[in-house]
Amino acid sequence: MTVPADSIPARPARPVRDDSFLRHARTDRLFHWFTAACVLTLMATGLLPHMGLKFDGTPVHWMAGLGLTALVMFHLVRSFFWKKVRTIWITRGELKGKHLGKYSVAQKGMHHALALLVFTSVCTGLVMLNRIGIPLLARNPGLLSLHTWGLVYVVHGLAAVSAVTLVMIHIYFGLIPENRMYLKAMISGRMSRADQRKRLMAFLKR
Amino acid sequence: MHFFRTGHDIQGQQVLTGISWDLAWVALALGAAVILGHSLWRLLRQGRDQRKS
Repeated sequence: MTVPADSIPARPARPVRDDSFLRHARTDRLFHWFTAACVLTLMATGLLPHMGLKFDGTPVHWMAGLGLTALVMFHLVRSFFWKKVRTIWITRGELKGKHLGKYSVAQKGMHHALALLVFTSVCTGLVMLNRIGIPLLARNPGLLSLHTWGLVYVVHGLAAVSAVTLVMIHIYFGLIPENRMYLKAMISGRMSRADQRKRLMAFLKR
Repeated sequence: MHFFRTGHDIQGQQVLTGISWDLAWVALALGAAVILGHSLWRLLRQGRDQRKS
């Protein structure tokens, strides 16, 4: 029995193209979530023992600190050699509200503020390793005078507590419904065209 | 409330040892205040937008 050609159901061709585009590469997403895990661990182990929860957070604290150091180094190298660093600067057009890039001024501002605090914490934290001593790095409290040690601890502490406020704000703004698209993109990597249009409309409405 | 923790060196002079742990509570309160303030602003804005439409 022959079947007329036009009655043969069309073979399902390639899957219909998803109406979305890649916003964050897998490497960037992994960097973000590993950094988040390190920062939250550092905050918990560094601050909670002094806020009523009694436990020795020091070993986990320095290990997470070294993890964060590696992540920061990775991010710096990747940003300077594989990406265009200038794209993260806030342009005059963005400040005047005439231009909308991949990231809003608020997002870039949050990045710069957190970058400064994390970088400060990492630098001072690495110096502080000399005070506690870790495997492969002998304890050397005589490296700095008591007064200078005090300043290092103050700068580390100020960066850490400031980061607490910023991280709270960062998480809140990531969770509110109008910004949910950014959270989804940071999880799946993709943003739908509809969300991109919504983002553009919100920018134009301002 | 103190901003810094201090100790004494072997000569009895006061030296800084770090920030006061009270500042951690201040940071938490500041973060909570921003979140609360923005949530209230969102609620008010939503109400105004609903009345307009």
